[in-house]
Order: sequence, then C-alpha cells, then structure tokens
Amino acid sequence: MRERRPAVAPAVWFVALAAVSLAPVALLVLRALARTWLYPTLSPVVADGSALAAVVSLPRLRGALVASLLLALGTGVLATAMGCAAGRALVRARGGWRRVATAAAFLPVVAPPIALGVGIQVVALRLGLGGTLGGVMLAHLIPAAGYVTLYFVGALQGEDFALEDEARTLGATRWQTTWRVTIPVLRSRLRDAFVLGALVSWGQLALTLLVGAGSIRTLPVELLSYVRAGDDRLGAAAALVLAVPPLLAMGVVGLGARRTGAVA
Amino acid sequence: MTSARRAPLVAIAVLAGPVLVGGGYSLAASLGLVGAGSSGFTVATWLELLRAGETWRSVGWTLLTAGAGTALAFAAAVTVARGAGGSLLARQLALIPLALPHVAGALAALLLLGQSGFLSRAAHAVGWIDGPAEFPAMVYDPAGIGLTLAFAWKEFPFLLLNAIAVLDSRDRTLEETARSLGADASQTWRRVTWPLLWRGMAPAVIAVFAFLVGQYEMAVLLAPSDPLPLSMLTQERAVDPDLARRGAAHALSLLALLLTMVLVVVHERVTASDAGGHA
Repeated sequence: MRERRPAVAPAVWFVALAAVSLAPVALLVLRALARTWLYPTLSPVVADGSALAAVVSLPRLRGALVASLLLALGTGVLATAMGCAAGRALVRARGGWRRVATAAAFLPVVAPPIALGVGIQVVALRLGLGGTLGGVMLAHLIPAAGYVTLYFVGALQGEDFALEDEARTLGATRWQTTWRVTIPVLRSRLRDAFVLGALVSWGQLALTLLVGAGSIRTLPVELLSYVRAGDDRLGAAAALVLAVPPLLAMGVVGLGARRTGAVA
Repeated sequence: MTSARRAPLVAIAVLAGPVLVGGGYSLAASLGLVGAGSSGFTVATWLELLRAGETWRSVGWTLLTAGAGTALAFAAAVTVARGAGGSLLARQLALIPLALPHVAGALAALLLLGQSGFLSRAAHAVGWIDGPAEFPAMVYDPAGIGLTLAFAWKEFPFLLLNAIAVLDSRDRTLEETARSLGADASQTWRRVTWPLLWRGMAPAVIAVFAFLVGQYEMAVLLAPSDPLPLSMLTQERAVDPDLARRGAAHALSLLALLLTMVLVVVHERVTASDAGGHA
C-alpha cells in the first residue's frame, strides 16, 4: 500500500536542497567567468560569456576534452559489452557460482583506484601500454566493467530469455539473435549501462595519473594541474567542461526512465 | 563443461582477474621479488611499514574522514528523504551533485570553504572576521573538516535516492499496527520505520564508506600533507624518486585492498542476511 504524499513538499526542504545542490556549481560558473575576484569582494568582476568560450577553446583544454571523450566513449562501449555478457551469465547462474561471480564484480568497484593502479601501472608498462590511450582505457575498464555488470545483474532480474532461445530454434545464428533480438529488447538498458560506464571513465583521475604516466592529459588531470599551479579560473573552466556531459547524460537517462515508466 | 556453466567462470576471470594480477604483482613487489629496487625475498618493507607511525596515522585518519563523511551523508539523506523525498523535484536536485565528477566537486569545495573562499568573504561582509587568516582552516586542515564535508556533499544524493527507494517500497502495515496499538509518531519512527530504513540502506552505506576509504580525487585537492590520506600516501610512494621506497607503495596498496575486502565481506553478509530476512 502506498501512502499518498503531499503534492508539494515543504518549501524549506527545496530551498535547502537547491542551495546544497546548486551553490557549488554556481560558484564554479562564477569563478570561471571572473576575470578577477579579489578578497574580500563577494561578487566577482564577471566577464562576458565569450571569455568563457575563449577559455574553454584553449588548445590544452580542447586536447584534454578530446582525450576524455575518447576514453569515456571507448570505456562505455567496452564496459557495456562486457558488463552485459557478464551480467547475463550471472543472472542465469545458479547456486554458489552466482554469489562468487557477483562478489568478483563487486571487487573492482570497491578496490581503491590508486591501490588498483599501483600494480596495474607496472603490468601496463611491461605490456607496452604505459602512457598510452589504450592502456588508460583498459585501466578505466576495470572498475567500469564491474559497475556495469552489477547494473545488469539488477536490470536483468526476472528477464525472460525465451525469445532468444526461440530465435535460435527457428534457425537464427548467434549474431543474428544478438542483433535482431537481444539488442532491440535491451536497448534502453544498454543505453543506461553505456552512460554508467562512460561516467566511471569521465571522472577518473587516479588510474589516469598512474597508467597514463603524465602523457595522457584528460580533463581531471588538467583541472588538478591548473589548481596546483594556482590558476583557479582555468581549473573552474575545466570543472565546468567536466560537469556538463554527466549532467546531460543524467538528464537523458532520467528522461528515458520516465518515458519507459521506470520512474514515476 | 557446458557453456552455461563456463560463462560465470569467464565472468569472474575477466572482472576480478585484473585486480588479482595487479594485487599479485604488488605482493611480489612488496616482498622484494620484482620491480624497481628489488633485491630478493625480504619482509623488510612490510616490517618497516607496519612499524611506522605514519602508516597508522594515515589509516586512522582515512577511516575517520570516510566514516564521518558517510555518517553525515547518511543523516542528511534520511532527514531530507523524510521531509521532501517523495517529490520529483527533490530527486532531480539530488542528481546534480551525483553527476558532478569528484574532482570538480572538490574544486567547488575549495572555492567555498577555503580561507579566501566564498564563506570567508561572506563572514567578512557581515563583520565576523577582518581577514582570511581569521577564518577557520577547513581545507588542508589536519582535522579534515573540508574533506569530510565534501565527501558528505558528494555521497548524500546517492544515499538520498536509496533512502527514498527504501521508504517507498517498505511495508506500511507494521507502522499502522504500531500506531493502532497506541505508539505515537516518534515511537513508530524509532521502533519500526528506522530499523526498516537502516536494514534497507546498510548495503549502500557500507558501499559508500568503502568507496570513500579509497577516494583520491577529492583528497588530492582538500587533504592536508600531515597526516596524508592512505590514497595519497600510496601515490606519493609510487612516484618516489628513491626506488627503494616504491615497494612501500605496493604494500600500502595491498593494505588498502585488504581494508576494502573486509568491507566487501561485511557488505555481502549484510546483503545476504537482508535477503534472508525477506525470504
């Protein structure tokens, strides 16, 4: 039985929640736009939007954006493929294997990236992958595949795979079944899984620093570098560039979820 | 072995394999068997590390800040879920900090909480302080106040959405029975709703705590240099110009992995007992 909730929750909660959620983002916007912001002024000398556009189009930030995008896209696609396959195997598994395999998926999710990276860094170097985009992508894939697998373990609960079995019975090959049945049926869940996998890579710093060995300059790496150099303005610009795609992605997932009735 | 039986084994190998390979290398390196500065089997690195006060200060500080951040996020999530959890707007607002990458959130915390940050300027504007030096240090501070607040801010939305899901799906007949037997609202909350909420949220709370123990992105912008959080101490040793000290990075990473493994076991037990409770 579901309790009827008031249509509008107490305004005070919204004000508090809005302040907590939006204030830090607003501060990043102000800092990125501010030409100067000397202590103790509360409101900065704000430049126009073209100044922010100029900052964002700096070659260093643009290069970092491209590297971050490539890594997020590649990690998202690979993590979705691996996580979907592993999640299906886990959902169909029975008994002890299922628990062991779920714990195996949980391990790369909770293993601290820095702890993961220290050992992986040397292995990547030995394989000739240290300091390369491919090596960093494989490193990002370790936690991303774990997250996406756990997502599919939940999203595929109670899934009826009979349609695929039927297609195979009617003579479809494994590839035909995948392209014509599995992918169309799982489309919205594959999209959400891709977003999840891409986001794990998007914000990743520790693994990029260790496996990228300073050669792979992503947005988080540049942000850290700007702030350490005392340039909060460019740091805030990098933070904003970093913030926009996840916010858009969350919006897409939320919209898709509402359209499919997954959320009220 | 059939492919249906083989599939979970392949999944285990693919998912946990890289962690085990990395961990295996770290174990060998921490024992002086491989890697830069290795000189044959020795437990000296481990003995030195386990005897060093710096190691335990770092572990203790990491557990304390992660624990305080989790506790704050949990308290805020439960409070807001009770007050405004049902509304779509509350969920949408909560998604904003969830979507912001940790390193961007850490910079926002720096701009807000630093001694020349926005709160300090506001305090100056209302005449509470005369300059940045009078504003309490909340960034790079040994107490880790800024880092704890940033942890809580970043993890609160995840726990809020979790609290909303648990509250929405709970069986209300227990609460109605308690009320019909004469319990007042506060007693019903304390004795019925709260235990249900805690049991439902415990796995998520443990997951957040485990995540914060290994957090690097926020620590690198907000933590002090003494004591160093475990993640930063590990990174510092990993890039130490003195190759002989790099074995310590591998030992520290294993220590961090061990800590999170313990939390995985606790998480699995809590999840299993919860599933058993519902069966």
